[in-house]
Amino acid sequence: MEILDTYYSRDEYVETASGNKVSRQTVLCGSQNIVLNGKVIVQSGAIIRGDLANVRTGRYCIISKGAVIRPPFKQFSKGVAFFPLHIGDHVFVGEGAIVSAASVGSYVYIGKNAVIGRRCVLKDCCIIEDGAILPPETTVASFMRYTAAGTIEGGQGNPDHVPPAMQDQMVDFTKSFYEHFRSNA
Amino acid sequence: MASFMLPPVVSYACSCGLINPITKLYFCRHCLQLRCGFCVCHEVDSHFCSSCLENIPSSEAKLKKNRCNNCFNCPSCQHTLSARATTVVVPKKVDDPEKGDGDDKEKDKVITRKMYYLSCLACRWTTRDVGIPDQTVASGAWPECEYANQTRLNAIMEYYQSVVLQEKQEKQDLWKRKTPKKHKYFSLTDRTGLTVSMIRRQMGWADKAPPKPKAITPSEASEEVDELPESIFTEPVNLKNITTIKQRHSQPADQPETVDNLFPQRKSLWIKRSLRCRQCEHNIIKPEYHPTSIKYRIQLFASYHVPEVRLVKCEQPLKAGVANFVILNFANPTMHDMVVKIIELPSEDEEALLIEEFRRGFEKQTSLTSTPSLTSALSRQTSLNEEPRFVDKRTTAKLEYPNVPFTVNHRDDSAEFDEDTQIQQEEPPFVIWRKSNKVSVKLGFTPDPDLASNDEVVVGFSMQYNYVNTVINTADRSEPQKHTLHARVYVKVGNITSESA
Amino acid sequence: MDNSVKIMPKAIVCEESVLRGDITISPGCIIHTSATIIAECGPIILGENCIVEEYATIINKNASEEAEAGGNALIIGTNNVFEVGCHVQAKKIGENNIFECKSYVSPAVSVSSGCVIGAGCRLLAAQTLPEHTVIYSKNCLQRDAMEKQSQALQIESLRKILPNYHHLKKATFDAKKIRGQV
Repeated sequence: MEILDTYYSRDEYVETASGNKVSRQTVLCGSQNIVLNGKVIVQSGAIIRGDLANVRTGRYCIISKGAVIRPPFKQFSKGVAFFPLHIGDHVFVGEGAIVSAASVGSYVYIGKNAVIGRRCVLKDCCIIEDGAILPPETTVASFMRYTAAGTIEGGQGNPDHVPPAMQDQMVDFTKSFYEHFRSNA
Repeated sequence: MASFMLPPVVSYACSCGLINPITKLYFCRHCLQLRCGFCVCHEVDSHFCSSCLENIPSSEAKLKKNRCNNCFNCPSCQHTLSARATTVVVPKKVDDPEKGDGDDKEKDKVITRKMYYLSCLACRWTTRDVGIPDQTVASGAWPECEYANQTRLNAIMEYYQSVVLQEKQEKQDLWKRKTPKKHKYFSLTDRTGLTVSMIRRQMGWADKAPPKPKAITPSEASEEVDELPESIFTEPVNLKNITTIKQRHSQPADQPETVDNLFPQRKSLWIKRSLRCRQCEHNIIKPEYHPTSIKYRIQLFASYHVPEVRLVKCEQPLKAGVANFVILNFANPTMHDMVVKIIELPSEDEEALLIEEFRRGFEKQTSLTSTPSLTSALSRQTSLNEEPRFVDKRTTAKLEYPNVPFTVNHRDDSAEFDEDTQIQQEEPPFVIWRKSNKVSVKLGFTPDPDLASNDEVVVGFSMQYNYVNTVINTADRSEPQKHTLHARVYVKVGNITSESA
Repeated sequence: MDNSVKIMPKAIVCEESVLRGDITISPGCIIHTSATIIAECGPIILGENCIVEEYATIINKNASEEAEAGGNALIIGTNNVFEVGCHVQAKKIGENNIFECKSYVSPAVSVSSGCVIGAGCRLLAAQTLPEHTVIYSKNCLQRDAMEKQSQALQIESLRKILPNYHHLKKATFDAKKIRGQV
């Protein structure tokens, strides 16, 4: 399916110089610690907790409605430290997803209402299905698909679970989503 | 939602007749045909563990029964276990450091040491729950579970391995006797009359025959079954102490019945596979060796060579028998301009011809390899050929085929930064939009009048396009060849709108 | 419903949180932004050192018919953690519990102490959870936890970080003046 145009009202979104489109109804805590690298869409209701630690996203990321991006914490004997969260390029975070990962690679698809546990590591080109719940500290390798049932499947070269051309698919998807996300003023 | 996460709207028919979206298809550049996951040969490229991302050489993988050395699965919820550290204060004894629990007695001679235990972060199970002692190193020292019947199973495996060796030897001897090799030169035996077995006997060595398999006592089936203990009928069941079926099956060696006997299992390894076309034996996909790399050494995806068709929208709500319009997008992924023509799907006879051609291609391939040497036959994987079949999808709408071809420009990655300069040229009337390497086409169609509401409306056509083969053959031709190829495309336009009362 | 929110000193309550009804927040609590606490059917009393993260929802739905003294108040014990996106409507909550992301507890459930309601678990049937129970996986399997769950360390660092970045609601209740019961 070709993506159809989605329109937003001009006063709802702020467009920055580097092409980021951020809704005014998001909660961006600690915005000086949040780096959006360019052409990133942050839809309404999203929460990015930059106050806990640095958050950095790559280009062409899409953070859908109600998603929560929260840096994870690690417990030491002397206390708790919050670690920075790096998200790669061309990442799609679905609606209502909670991302507490230690790092998210590039070309990752996170489905809606997914829960990414603390300090998980998502490598490039992986898929997290809708409603999947990742326990803390799980690693999802490249070209693996984490199902809603809690199992992990896939592997590079296996056409069934993750498309082999995942990188191009995500680049195409995020770019055309961004292009079709227009203001209707 | 991304197109690869939803059920496919646009599907292509592979050369074997199976229907797949373009994300699951490959293109063999030598046969110039579409291939799907079933008509290629899957080969294991490398093994790796999905949680520690370590590459394991295949010989070691076979030795360790395809399990990772360091990573464990929680026996309670089958997620990954992670090592947690605690510091214990140990009285510094000379001989054996006992594990103290924090209350030490010695005044000066104490050392704090880190002890590790495995814990699951999903269900909060720890190795301490079943009594496994904490280890001094985080990985490598976890004890293996002892299960009953282990020695018996090992003995049976060894016996059968020697039986297999013996049978293989006998087969080889039989084969050698049937086809004696003609030597050109005199052998040592011909000249001197000595054979290898005589020399070995003289030297005092044993015969070269494989060791006879040591006979083991065969297992005897018995009809006696233990009586149920009386306590089953009297004691109340505590469900928290009983393992679930899934927990038992994940520990197949001893299948514990109580939660106390759950043991962490080693994690299975995953593979990276490379794909090979069955007809021309060329590689279609070859990934990089390293587990974290997402690149491919060879990547012949269909989306790089075959024009991609996408459904933009259908003009009006679908009604059976009512003419309608659909807008399709054609994208040219190659570096050469493409001329695309939409024609009718092949009829039954033409499809039968295609299937015959596919089968002939297979037989030619297998005939070439019909006399393999024994060693190569043993090492080559048996490839299961997929039977070519008629395409399983029936179109439920009649498309108006425009018999005029249209051009789709080649892909130009730098064009997105340039201004849109459209060269005005003669456009066929059904082309409504054009941008860099994409063309939008409006086609009329009529769903079949006998469709009920909520039935799928499927439009099918054959796409004829010209393809420039950039594989430089060694035989004479120095410039790339042009081919005209066909691809059968099926588009699910939507469902007949239900007439709600 | 009238808004009477009593915030004890030393509680950190972010400005964007939604607090409605008769709520008492004990000292040491941390309420993150976009948390929702609605005392619909009765008052809510949050014990000390509780952490309520963003998009967590605590609703008091104890419409009890019995005329007990204070019968429909939702009393939440100390040291509880309500993680992102959890939806809690329990009858009563003890101490040291952890409600993980996107969990749901229906109004028929009473949670005792030391329990962990795993991520995504939905507890619907009327029950009283025994102590130290861990609910995990989609099917809400249960097991006893041997280890003690602790989250005390988190509170200290959150107490240092949050005031730097957020507007906080001021304490409305000064314990020195009036001796209140919590």
